[in-house]
This record gives sequence, C-alpha cells and structure tokens, in this order.
Amino acid sequence: MTSSRPLEAPAPSPSHLELFLGMQQVALSSFGGGLSAWSERIVVEERRWLNQAEFLTGLTVARLFPGPNQVNMAVYIGSRFHGLSGALIAIAGLLLIPFSLLLLLGLAYYQLHMLPAVDRLLAGVITASAGMAISMGFKLVGAYSRDPMALLLAAVSFLAMTVFHVRLIPLVLVLGPLAMAWYWPRQR
Amino acid sequence: MSAFLPLPVLASAAAHCQPVSLGDWRNLLAVIWDFLSLSLFSLGGGNTLLSEYHQMAVDQYCWLNSRQFADLYAIAEAAPGPSSMLVGLLGMGAAIREGPLWGLVSGVGAEVAILLPSTVVMVVASISWNRWRDSAWRVAFERGLGPITLGILFAVGLKILRISDHDTPAYAVSAVVCVLMLRSRIPPLWFMAVAALLGGLGLVNR
Repeated sequence: MTSSRPLEAPAPSPSHLELFLGMQQVALSSFGGGLSAWSERIVVEERRWLNQAEFLTGLTVARLFPGPNQVNMAVYIGSRFHGLSGALIAIAGLLLIPFSLLLLLGLAYYQLHMLPAVDRLLAGVITASAGMAISMGFKLVGAYSRDPMALLLAAVSFLAMTVFHVRLIPLVLVLGPLAMAWYWPRQR
Repeated sequence: MSAFLPLPVLASAAAHCQPVSLGDWRNLLAVIWDFLSLSLFSLGGGNTLLSEYHQMAVDQYCWLNSRQFADLYAIAEAAPGPSSMLVGLLGMGAAIREGPLWGLVSGVGAEVAILLPSTVVMVVASISWNRWRDSAWRVAFERGLGPITLGILFAVGLKILRISDHDTPAYAVSAVVCVLMLRSRIPPLWFMAVAALLGGLGLVNR
C-alpha cells in the first residue's frame, strides 16, 4: 500500500496479536491460490517483519524440514520474534479461518455425499485432483535428470511402495541414511 | 442441529472391516501416536504422507472407504489453505459416527497431532539455522532425501489416481490436468471447476 520506503528500515518486532492478524491476512489474501507470493508481499513489503533475504532463507528452511511448507513458514516467522509461542500463534493465524471452513465442508460432506448430485460433482473433481497428484512427481523430476544415483533412489522408493507395499517410515529410515552417506559432502 | 441425518453413509462405508472406535482410550492413543509419528516423515511439504493416510483411514482403521478418501482429498485440494489440512477431515471421519460434535473434536485433534512434532522441530531449526546452514549433515540430508521424496511422490500420485478414476474419460481428464499443471499457469481451481462440471453432466464417472 504505502510506497514510501525509506531504505528498508525494519519495522519493530510484532506483538503476538499482530503476528496472529498478519498471518490471518496472508491466509485470507491467498484464497484462490498463490499463498507464498501473498506471504512475501505481506510479510516483507507491507509489514517489513523480514527482509527479502531472510524471507528466502525461511522458505529454504521450511521446505527442508518436515511439515507443510506454508505452516513451516509461519513457524519460521513466528518463532523468530516470540519462540514457540510465536510459532503457535502464527500457525493459529494462518489456519484458523481456512481450517474452520474445511471442517464445515467436511461436516457437509459426511451428511450429503450419498446424494447422487453431490457424488457426481465429486466424481468430476477427483479426476482433477488425481491429475494434480501425479503432477507433483513430474514437477520435481527435472532437477534430478542428470544424477543417475538420484534416479535410482527415486526408482527404488517408488517400487518399494507400489510393488512391495513398504510403509513410509521404514522406507525412509532405511533408504534415508544410505542416501545421506552417498551424498555426504567430500572435501577435495 | 438435531436435524442431522442418521448417517447411512458410514454403514456402507467400509463393509470389508469393522471401523475402529475411538471410544476405547487404547485405540485413541494408538491413533494419536500414529499421527504424531508420521509428522516427522512429512517430507516434501507433506504430500509424501498421502498413502500412509489412506492405509490408516481405509485399511487399518476402516473409518472410510477408498471412494470417500478420494472425495476428501479432492475437497482438501479445492478448499483454500494448505491441502495438508486433509488430516482434519480424516480425523472427523474417525468420530463422525458419534455425532458432528465428536467429529469436530476429532478433526481438530488429528490436525494438532500431525502438526505438533514437525512444528517443534521447525522452531528449533529456525532458531539455530545459522549453525546448521553449512553443516555436512544439512547438505547430506537435503541432497539425500530429495530423490527419495521424488520416488514417494510418484508412488503417492499413482495411488491417488488408482483410487480416484474408474472410466476412460476420467483418466483422460486426469492426464490433461497433469500436463496443464506442468505446462501452464492456469490456477488449479479452474481445473477443479471444469472437472466438477464434467462430473455433474455425467461425462466422467467412477
């Protein structure tokens, strides 16, 4: 909004309430998609809680560690100012409205999904969501196309799950350390 | 609120096995433990967990059938907010037989359980990131787990496709959506809307 930006002076650190409201603004603005772009606009440009570099570091950390990326990003922002309580309040701000809405949809679903009209609509929607689900792997595969070991690891985990029905936790616990050993940085 | 239907729904839900009731506290603890322990394995933003969720909700605990699981996945994808909130809908399915209020409580509980461990780890990671940034552990973790995540995402995608689509036009729509997701910048909500229309008109079926 305010385009007067005197050389990126950082704003004073937000209170719990401000964190909550800021993350809620992120959640509401991103109805319809583009959450991470909105998050950057609000957190970096409007409220100046983080600068650009800090925001990008946050994205890196959020993607690296387990957990949903957007939730992890909220944790990164919240914990920076108020530790664990800041993280929790930031998650609450991010999820309160979308999660409440989703639970209402869920209640409606469990009541109404036997109606033929609802069932037909959902039969359509799931074809799109299945298409999105298979696109997730293809989206990443390019990054590994010239690393035979990476492709082998991907193939082994794929086959382990689809053909041999290996569960996720044992799979990661066995393959993970092997892969880490292979990719351990060597000094030259 | 008392106008809630008697849920014929779940009678037909999982005829192949008995739904596990959360009324028994040992079951409740087992389920909470499952979500807590899965939390730290939600690599790649959490989608890696989808087949575990299916295994739990459909095969192990019998709260839902595959068809309902696919429906809920689609709803979580279409609704605003992180799609990993699907866990809330699964938790709701675990207790909806006891009534909508228990459904809500269980949904919130499942979501808290799946987010708590990863959040605690993320807090520690955020605070001490400067110490880890150049560590060999960090490099090996990132580079080693990436390809495994990739393989899991393909397996998960295939699983979702299998439980979702049943006639040829439906598979064709999925294939087109997949290509457009990769090659275009069309917002995903459009795919959902068009696909819902195709379903409503009876052009795709399961």
